[in-house]
Amino acid sequence: MTWLVWRQHRIQYILGAALLAAFAVVIVIAGDQVAAQFHHAATTCAAGHGCEQLGGLFMGNKVVGFLVIATLGAPLIVGLFWGAPLVAAEVEAGTTQFAWMQSVTRKRWLTVKIGWMMLAATIWGAVISILVSWWSSPTNAEQLNQFDPGRFDLVGLVPVAYSLFAMALGIVSGALLRRTLPALAVTLAGFVGVRALVTLLLRPHYMSAVTTYYNVTRGFNPAGAFWSLSQGVLGPNGQPIAQINNVPYFDGIPQTTLPASCASAANGNGNPSGACVQALSHYRAFITYQPANRFWAFQGIEFGIFVVLAAALIAVTAAVLLRRDA
Amino acid sequence: MTPAITTTGLTKCYGKTAALNDCTITVPEGRISALIGPNGAGKTTLLKLLAGLSKPTAGQVTVNGSVPRQDPAFLAEIGYLAQEIPLYRRLSAEDHIRAGAHLNPRWDSASVRERLAALNIPLDRPVGKLSGGQRAQVALSLILGKRPRLLLLDEPVAALDPLARRNFLGTLTDGVAVGGLTVMLSSHLVTDMERVCDHIVMLSSSRVQLCGDIDDVLAEHKLLVGPRKDTTAIERDHYVVQVTRTPRQTTMLVRLNGPVHDPAFQVSDVSLEDIVLAYMGEDAPPARAAFTSVGDDQQ
Repeated sequence: MTWLVWRQHRIQYILGAALLAAFAVVIVIAGDQVAAQFHHAATTCAAGHGCEQLGGLFMGNKVVGFLVIATLGAPLIVGLFWGAPLVAAEVEAGTTQFAWMQSVTRKRWLTVKIGWMMLAATIWGAVISILVSWWSSPTNAEQLNQFDPGRFDLVGLVPVAYSLFAMALGIVSGALLRRTLPALAVTLAGFVGVRALVTLLLRPHYMSAVTTYYNVTRGFNPAGAFWSLSQGVLGPNGQPIAQINNVPYFDGIPQTTLPASCASAANGNGNPSGACVQALSHYRAFITYQPANRFWAFQGIEFGIFVVLAAALIAVTAAVLLRRDA
Repeated sequence: MTPAITTTGLTKCYGKTAALNDCTITVPEGRISALIGPNGAGKTTLLKLLAGLSKPTAGQVTVNGSVPRQDPAFLAEIGYLAQEIPLYRRLSAEDHIRAGAHLNPRWDSASVRERLAALNIPLDRPVGKLSGGQRAQVALSLILGKRPRLLLLDEPVAALDPLARRNFLGTLTDGVAVGGLTVMLSSHLVTDMERVCDHIVMLSSSRVQLCGDIDDVLAEHKLLVGPRKDTTAIERDHYVVQVTRTPRQTTMLVRLNGPVHDPAFQVSDVSLEDIVLAYMGEDAPPARAAFTSVGDDQQ
């Protein structure tokens, strides 16, 4: 079976490997450039000549930066071009009737085919993730925004799980619909939909968020690249302070409810007076956030979710194909 | 000796419609059986059930002494060629031969190459670029290379021109000559089949109308021609397949259950094609006779 799978799909495998190789060359060349820039900026920062360069949005070549962001869609390549046609194209061409009438059970046919495809998807996701993680390590070293969808989704474990999920989604849609074109549409919509749902609705709640209350005058910043979910100010009675447009605020509190001396401090005229500080002490600020050190736990949880989804889809494929009449 | 194929009350429904209804047949080992029937009679359904590609709704099926199932040992003994002649269009015949060698325990690559070389079919060209007749030959040679005990061919010659058709059937008879092989091939044309087959199964309207060795079928069926008269005596003794009445004459195609006693009727042989056409014109189940009338004397 392995021989047939390789012979049937070798063009796909070779093309896939070539794409990965090209991507690797671009990333490695560009990565050196980023590392040099980062080193320069870090030295400037350490020498006290300003650290603003470190906070730069994009480091290195902007085209490469765009390419890296575009790897968000990389799982779709395997899902659409490998997964969806895997069963559908064979059913359309009738070649399942060739394969299923050799001295090989349908179960074995399916196991070997899906096995190699899932392995290919794993390699695809892993190589891209390793390259992107390496490329972005200088900027990650700044510990900025590591939970951002544009960053969290590109590095670490999750790209592998996304690839497996996209592949499984392609395979199951092809097996259920028995036609390649509709299977492509379902794979595309399904992948984007599920990824968006998980990112927006599930990810913030993988672990219960930490809420810290603090005195507005002191301020508080969680350590490292934390993920802020919400923040605000509570009034003297514990009621949240509504933030309204076009009202002057001081430390998140409308100036109208504070002593007049706070206004001058708000306008930058010296430190707040004792009366102002006294008034502010009745207010508490809070921040609800996911601590920075949960990054890998979150990666692991999201990896698990997508791997379980992929496994469920493969189980559906097997149940359908092994039971259905040819 | 166990028959190659036995089915009892085999029924397959798709939704509410029965594609095959209460099919009971026996095909002894070593026969080349023609599965004849009009389009939509259930031929493909029956072949897929025999191959284990689909599961029956009711009834039993036994092939090579066992129930069709997903098992390498069972699959190794069946050669099934679907109507669409499924091959991987981008792969060459040689690729298919090598795939067959990886996927089958009793594979005979040499014989496949020999057969295709004798037919001047290139081994290295993608099969999608071969002619329809060549593709059919490749598919048949591959199936013979599997060395099955039972060959099931679904309308293998339907899409072929007369020359390709003759070549294909030639390859088939050569392959069968090796021995130990039972074949069932479906067609809606009797003439092609008569040359190579010695057994017939006829389906019409999802039911079996006829099943037996062609010699026996020919011996049993006679054309009775006589004056226009009451035929109830004949209908009682024999099974009347088809009746044609004109004002002066009655023509009946009957399956005899013994000699015809009425001297008014002239008994003559009838061709297999006429027998098949008579059954095709008949949509009722075989237990009951139906009549068709032509001419000016409509009933």
